[in-house]
Amino acid sequence: MLTFDGTFYGFLTIIHAVYYEKIEPCGIQVEGAVQLSLAEIPRFIETNDEYAERVYHAIREKISEESAEHVYRAFLASDDERFMAMLHYIRLGFKVGHMVDSHLHEDFVRRVHKLSKHVWREAHLLFGFCRFAETKHGAFYCEVTPKNDVLNLLAQHFCERLMNQAWVIHDKTRHKAAIYDGNTYVIAVVPPDEATFTYADGEEDIQEMWTVFFNTLAIKERINPKVQRGLLPLYFRKNMTEFKQ
Amino acid sequence: MLFYDVCMDIMDKLKILADAAKFDVACTSSGNNRAAKRGALGNAVACGICHSFTADGRCISLLKILLTNKCVYDCMYCVNRRSSDVPRAEFTPEEVAELTIRFYQRNYIEGLFLSSAVIETPDYTMELLVSALRIVRETYHFNGYIHVKTIPGADEALIRQAGLLADRVSVNIELPSQESLQRLAPEKTKQNILLPMKTVREGIAQRKNELSLYRHAKNEPSFAPAGQSTQLIVGATPESDSKIVSLAEGLYGKFKLKRVFYSAYIPGNPTLPMTAPPLLREHRLYQADWLLRFYGYKAGELFSHADENLSLEMDPKCHWAVNNLDKFPVEVNRADYTTLLRVPGIGQISAQKIVAARRVNKLDFDALKKMRVVLKRAKYFITCDGKTYEKIPLLPEVVAPRLMDKSDTGYSQLTL
Repeated sequence: MLTFDGTFYGFLTIIHAVYYEKIEPCGIQVEGAVQLSLAEIPRFIETNDEYAERVYHAIREKISEESAEHVYRAFLASDDERFMAMLHYIRLGFKVGHMVDSHLHEDFVRRVHKLSKHVWREAHLLFGFCRFAETKHGAFYCEVTPKNDVLNLLAQHFCERLMNQAWVIHDKTRHKAAIYDGNTYVIAVVPPDEATFTYADGEEDIQEMWTVFFNTLAIKERINPKVQRGLLPLYFRKNMTEFKQ
Repeated sequence: MLFYDVCMDIMDKLKILADAAKFDVACTSSGNNRAAKRGALGNAVACGICHSFTADGRCISLLKILLTNKCVYDCMYCVNRRSSDVPRAEFTPEEVAELTIRFYQRNYIEGLFLSSAVIETPDYTMELLVSALRIVRETYHFNGYIHVKTIPGADEALIRQAGLLADRVSVNIELPSQESLQRLAPEKTKQNILLPMKTVREGIAQRKNELSLYRHAKNEPSFAPAGQSTQLIVGATPESDSKIVSLAEGLYGKFKLKRVFYSAYIPGNPTLPMTAPPLLREHRLYQADWLLRFYGYKAGELFSHADENLSLEMDPKCHWAVNNLDKFPVEVNRADYTTLLRVPGIGQISAQKIVAARRVNKLDFDALKKMRVVLKRAKYFITCDGKTYEKIPLLPEVVAPRLMDKSDTGYSQLTL
């Protein structure tokens, strides 16, 4: 049993250890995450940025860019047992190269694909569903409560989209935020109840205009809440301007 | 500050002019990638992004509004016709621009979809539209997505200007035949609808040509890079599905359109049919449209001689398969991609997965299930290594009843 610090680089360091120390792990876990079985003595692998970067580079070069993306996205999923599947996926990848994504008869390949898709889907939905509000300080503030750890993916998207304004995307589930000053963003820890802000003048008017616009658009002869729920699941709505009363 | 002082005024206008625009179906923001740039607001992504979904389950991606709903025309199918008793309003180009920017900064929208009723003359209306786009693009440096409607009968030069500012340009055909047009929209003609379409097509083609000839042309503004689209109203006039689908095929082919939208007519004028909107028929037309664009079908294949309309009980792909049973079953381990695409229940994603997976491993039904290829309909039409799924004979009277849609699709045909 191997454990690591829960970072992506930490996980990649484990891959390095598996290859260079010829370890055959029966499990990979985040240090201190779950009660470990008594029969096993877990070994903690310390994160090594240089090893991690080498492994990631090798995945991109020897397997494919696409596989590297699958691995990163699957890592962001909220599934405690994903690490072994990812290890098997990478191992097979180093054997068969980019053909790894054709090995759909292997459970672990399908598992990694499924997680990757799930994460990307949530991120993609949030590209649209994130709502920013202008604050007194001039920065735009946005709250999210995603199922997967998609904060980085969101930040990358909004660095392009909202390049010329300062913004903060606050992941309330994981108590962290991406803070962008108009140039680069950093991820910072935000203790619960510490984020306070006041709206800029006129912000509420704009929010009301948007809500009015939103409500006006529905054609009453075609109301279909079932379809709406499928496309815009309820758990997103608590952070969305147009669904707040 | 000025903007906030007139908020209430804008709120009322927004209500009227969004309400007046809501019957336009197109809300796609897809088809063009444009990177963000310093000093400008926004970018465009080819896959499109939905920002919200209304209670009727339609995507909101764009700020879809009319510049004005004060119309000099009297088209019978339209809520904004001159003789219709609705509240009227008019935005200034500046107001439209500011609203777009404020919404975009908050990530409410992917961009602007601006249309208008015909105020005074087509040229005057088109000028107003162009000036709104100019303010958004040039004063506010907006780099996001813009879709603009051209006004039938407007000057070609104005349409070209619009094409240089917008990502997508469209003109609504609305009625699928000249006769219907004459009857319901006497001020419009087929000619002045098709003319702007040609202008846009030529603009796009010319731009492509310049790009291939001159490298410096890259820095020139692009012309409607996301192409053009149009909309047809279904159910207000007697045209058959076969006529509508053939028309769509022609538009995709001849006019190089990116999308044709279909809109079930919602009763509003007592002289036209007062039945509930034909939502299921609209759904079938979209299915047929997809078959034209992504599955390699020709319009003629979708209609047998007896039927001028698409079947309401069965989707058009199943319908085609049942009428062409001699082409089945298909062996999933050998059939090429385009043949796989013709199997009911197998779409692009499933076909791609099958083609990829069979390179390393022989496929059986169990493997297909694990790959999440849906067998509900496909199972009648495929074999895996020569084996069929169930011992069901491939006969129309046996297979067809099993392919009928259940009524819980959410698109059931309503009756008033």
